[in-house]
Amino acid sequence: MSHAVAAGPTGSKTSRAAEAAARGILNFSAGLAILAALWWIGGYLIAMNPKTQSFAGFGLVQTLHAFPGLWEMGKLQNAISASAYRLGSGLLIAIVIGVPIGIVMGRSRRFRDLSNSSFQFLRMISPLSWMPIAVFVFTAWDNSIIFLIAIASVWSVMFSTAAGLAKVDPAWFKVARNLGASTLQMLTQIILPAIAFDIFTGIRLALGIAWVVLVPAELLGVTSGLGYAIKDARETLSYDHLTAMVLTIGIIGYLLDTCCALLIKRFSWHRGDA
Amino acid sequence: MSNNTATVGSPAMASVATGSRSSRALKASGNGLFNFFAGLLILFALWWLAIYVATLSPKAAQWAAFGPLPAFKAIGAMWESGLIPKALWTSGYRLGGGLAIAIVIGVPIGILIGRSKRFRELSNSPFQLMRMISPLSWEPIAVIVFAGWDQAIIFLIAVAAVWPVMFSTAAGLSKVDPAWFKVARNLGAKPWHVVTQIIIPAITFDVLTGIRLAVGVAWVVLVPAEFLGVTSGFGYTIEDARESLEYDHLMAMILVIGAVGYVLDTGLTMLIKRFSWHKGA
Repeated sequence: MSHAVAAGPTGSKTSRAAEAAARGILNFSAGLAILAALWWIGGYLIAMNPKTQSFAGFGLVQTLHAFPGLWEMGKLQNAISASAYRLGSGLLIAIVIGVPIGIVMGRSRRFRDLSNSSFQFLRMISPLSWMPIAVFVFTAWDNSIIFLIAIASVWSVMFSTAAGLAKVDPAWFKVARNLGASTLQMLTQIILPAIAFDIFTGIRLALGIAWVVLVPAELLGVTSGLGYAIKDARETLSYDHLTAMVLTIGIIGYLLDTCCALLIKRFSWHRGDA
Repeated sequence: MSNNTATVGSPAMASVATGSRSSRALKASGNGLFNFFAGLLILFALWWLAIYVATLSPKAAQWAAFGPLPAFKAIGAMWESGLIPKALWTSGYRLGGGLAIAIVIGVPIGILIGRSKRFRELSNSPFQLMRMISPLSWEPIAVIVFAGWDQAIIFLIAVAAVWPVMFSTAAGLSKVDPAWFKVARNLGAKPWHVVTQIIIPAITFDVLTGIRLAVGVAWVVLVPAEFLGVTSGFGYTIEDARESLEYDHLMAMILVIGAVGYVLDTGLTMLIKRFSWHKGA
């Protein structure tokens, strides 16, 4: 997913690196410009056809015009902060539960063998099918949504952590023990640095799934967040607001995903990986 | 969506020493079976215990319907009344339709991304942006564009599933040794031959890996997509059970969703292993 990186030969001179970066920025902008142009043409065709004229709000120009209004009304900020709170809490719970269980899976063969079938089974329960139970258990919708995000994203964190630990050379543990490392030191000095890369890979996957779950979870019950904003725009037939929210979701998702990709690269110690 | 996904999925494999004797393999698969059932048994025991403890206080008596025994009984009843077969059939149709579209669109574009640097560089930012648009946010648009709810759901699944197929195909192609193409050209292979004799065999593994990821996402999208509009499928059955307060039906449906998903995922994992030619993969 980091094709742009391939353009820069490692260890080249700064001028070459600058050239590669410029090329990357050019491609990035040109790609988005092509997408915008296609969108504009599509919107133009919709607006020209008398049968579809009522959907002209889907066009690029109308969508971009909708942003200042959404911002001034505070809709955009409210939706983003409400969704961010739910996404953040859900991911946090997934990490707090997923990483320790992943470490146990990676370290204990017995636990791994026994837990595999149930975890795989639970993983394949589509997260939104927990929704009725979540609503039943948690009184507040906010908490149900956080639960849904956590249960959707815990598996990738867990399995990535376990996979990362499986790649760690067992000799490291022996060396650490011989040097008199305590369990805590083993955890902070060996396990965590070794698997930080895999944990972030898991978090990136988790974010992808959480992002998919967030919107439908917010379509029901709540009156805030990105999912609600989309539903609201549809019900009021303000199609320009609808596409503006869709675009916002794409941009925020893109930023989050890119940040995770950068973190993964930062913590990578496997040669040739990432 | 790197290749690092939940491939820990099959640690049971690790216990099969490669190239061991058949008796050892037999013992390992016996161990695997034992672990499989023991693991599920523990899960159901914990489930039973949780509901038992919850229903100890009379205030929470309505929780009893969430237990494993009512759920298993409900599966039998729902199978006979045709609820489960119908849900399997309709959801299977939508999932299959969406995945087929995702594969038909994703594989050729993935090959293009892998082969043409120009296309790869230009398409990266728009594709990444569109990938991160949460699939269900297309729903209002899909409902307007498509006349039938069925088509709208298939569209949502396709738009969710196309990205992993596309990017896996591209990643697979970039691992292919460029010398193969040169050799093929020197031996007089036509572009068609290059596709059927080199590209497809080489990337089958990666395409299948992408399809497995795509099934994972499609599975997540399917249920909420069926919450609205339609009157059949997994999502509808869950929504229906909730509204009619039939919690045993709800749990039964969750079990069916988990079991079908597990079977799909395991089937794809086996296919991936079958088509693997990367050492150690």
